[in-house]
Amino acid sequence: MQRQSRLEKSFLAILTVVVLLFFMIPLYWLLITSLKYGRDAFALPPQWAFFTPTLKNYTDALANSRSLMYIQNSLIITTGTTLLSLALGVPAGYAIARTRWRLLNSSSFFFLILLMVPPVATLIPFYLVMRDLHLLGTYWAVILLDTAFDASFVVWMMRSYFLDVPQEMEEAALVDGASHFTAFLQVALPLSIPGIISSALYCIIYSWNDFLFALMLTSPKTKTIPLGILASFSAVDISWGQMATLSVFAIIPAVIISLFLNRYFVQGLTMGASKG
Amino acid sequence: MGLNNQLTRTYRRFMMGDGVYLWLLLPLLAFVALIALYPLAFSFGISLFEYRLTDPNQTKTFVGLGNYLKAFADPSIQGSLQATFAFVISTVVVEIAFGLGLALLLSAENFVSQFIRSFLLLPMALPPLVIGLVWKALYNVDFGVIAYYAKLIGWDMGHGALATPGWALPAVVLVDVWEWTPLIMFIFLAGLKSLPTEPYEAARVDGASRWQSFIYLTLPLLRPTLLVALLLRTMQSFKAFDIIYATTAGGPGLETTVLNYQIYKVGLVFFDMGYASALANILLFIVGLLSVIYVMVLERQQL
Repeated sequence: MQRQSRLEKSFLAILTVVVLLFFMIPLYWLLITSLKYGRDAFALPPQWAFFTPTLKNYTDALANSRSLMYIQNSLIITTGTTLLSLALGVPAGYAIARTRWRLLNSSSFFFLILLMVPPVATLIPFYLVMRDLHLLGTYWAVILLDTAFDASFVVWMMRSYFLDVPQEMEEAALVDGASHFTAFLQVALPLSIPGIISSALYCIIYSWNDFLFALMLTSPKTKTIPLGILASFSAVDISWGQMATLSVFAIIPAVIISLFLNRYFVQGLTMGASKG
Repeated sequence: MGLNNQLTRTYRRFMMGDGVYLWLLLPLLAFVALIALYPLAFSFGISLFEYRLTDPNQTKTFVGLGNYLKAFADPSIQGSLQATFAFVISTVVVEIAFGLGLALLLSAENFVSQFIRSFLLLPMALPPLVIGLVWKALYNVDFGVIAYYAKLIGWDMGHGALATPGWALPAVVLVDVWEWTPLIMFIFLAGLKSLPTEPYEAARVDGASRWQSFIYLTLPLLRPTLLVALLLRTMQSFKAFDIIYATTAGGPGLETTVLNYQIYKVGLVFFDMGYASALANILLFIVGLLSVIYVMVLERQQL
């Protein structure tokens, strides 16, 4: 590459700053709004730095039984979805990676395509089925539908992970008389813990972020954080502080993911899993 | 005795040998068939009926392909198809151009680029609903930051960008660009990293400028990456829902009522289930076609 002139260098530096501001400002706004008193949140010109910070919104949110309920519901649905997705997806990913049956091998593409189905297309009939089974408004309704998408992702992730795990140890176990099932549980599974962790984090973020399924399938008692945020936004007096505080809770998994699991996260997105 | 042997062999085959893999896969297959495939088949079934949940008698009238034919004549569907194509084309084009630019800008392995790259993972990991609501607050006419600064430079946004015809779509596209451009950037960064270095050295020896080697080398070499990014984002863009729900709710008029949102409105707000299922199946067909092409492309590229 040729050397860059000084003019070019400063132009690129300015461009970088502009890009960074574009992506940072909405998040920065969210964070400072959660730290402001009501009157400061609405003040114009906007106060970007010099305002009286307060944790009042957070203490209010944690003292408010409804906010706590949203957080609890999100935790229940996320935990349920993640555990179920792993329980179904990890063995299936192993099977697809190890089997010599062509049909089972190519079933992985079926899961990949399933990941790309528009959520609303499954939601409408699923809603009717849940209604007939009187499961609307229960945690199960959301967990089951979230799991259909998340488990399909786990299969893909774990399949590629198991393909990279050396097979020799499993083969040695088989020679020693272990069954295929034992080889999976006691040899392959412990070797694939990092893959399982990334799959789990991925499931966590998707079920935690889900809005559409929760919107249609929950009742007032099972509403999750995104629905709580929406409620505080559309209430008669918009409480931006409360909205921002709940939003900060809502983005915690995202922050953790982007700090610790970046590679897998992008890989997951390029597999087509995205609902937003 | 013969039967017993047969049974033992069958048992061995399924429990000990390769058959065990089938057992490991079966729970998920059964689950997916029940939770995803059965509803999709069911959805095809109801799309052939006139079926409104709001109807007190809950009657289902068989109308054959009537719901599908109705969709092609329905002016609100035409409006939402128009919105869909405007939304999909503008988000995909802007995000690919911007994403490629970002990838080139931030491909260096220095501290600043690395920091910004890891920060840029955030937008796509955030709950899309929160992104939509934050931008809605920023766009707000009375208290919003964007409207305030627009007014300072002498641009009165009237009812606000989200409520003004002609501005609502670009305003929502900007939110989507904020959310998804980083993904395109990461795809291109991976593509850039896998480029061979020899052609560039040859071009430099031949005295090509950096601009020339970008146009004649980088762009053609990135074509497979571009194809992946294009298909992936097109598919995802057809599924945008949360940010539209949060910002404009489809308005003003039908300007931002993309097909995905229209299906939600018909089915889950007005509970016209037969018609909504037909519309959902049309969307499913479009996205399904794209995803099959995408999977074939991915497989050929051995990603």
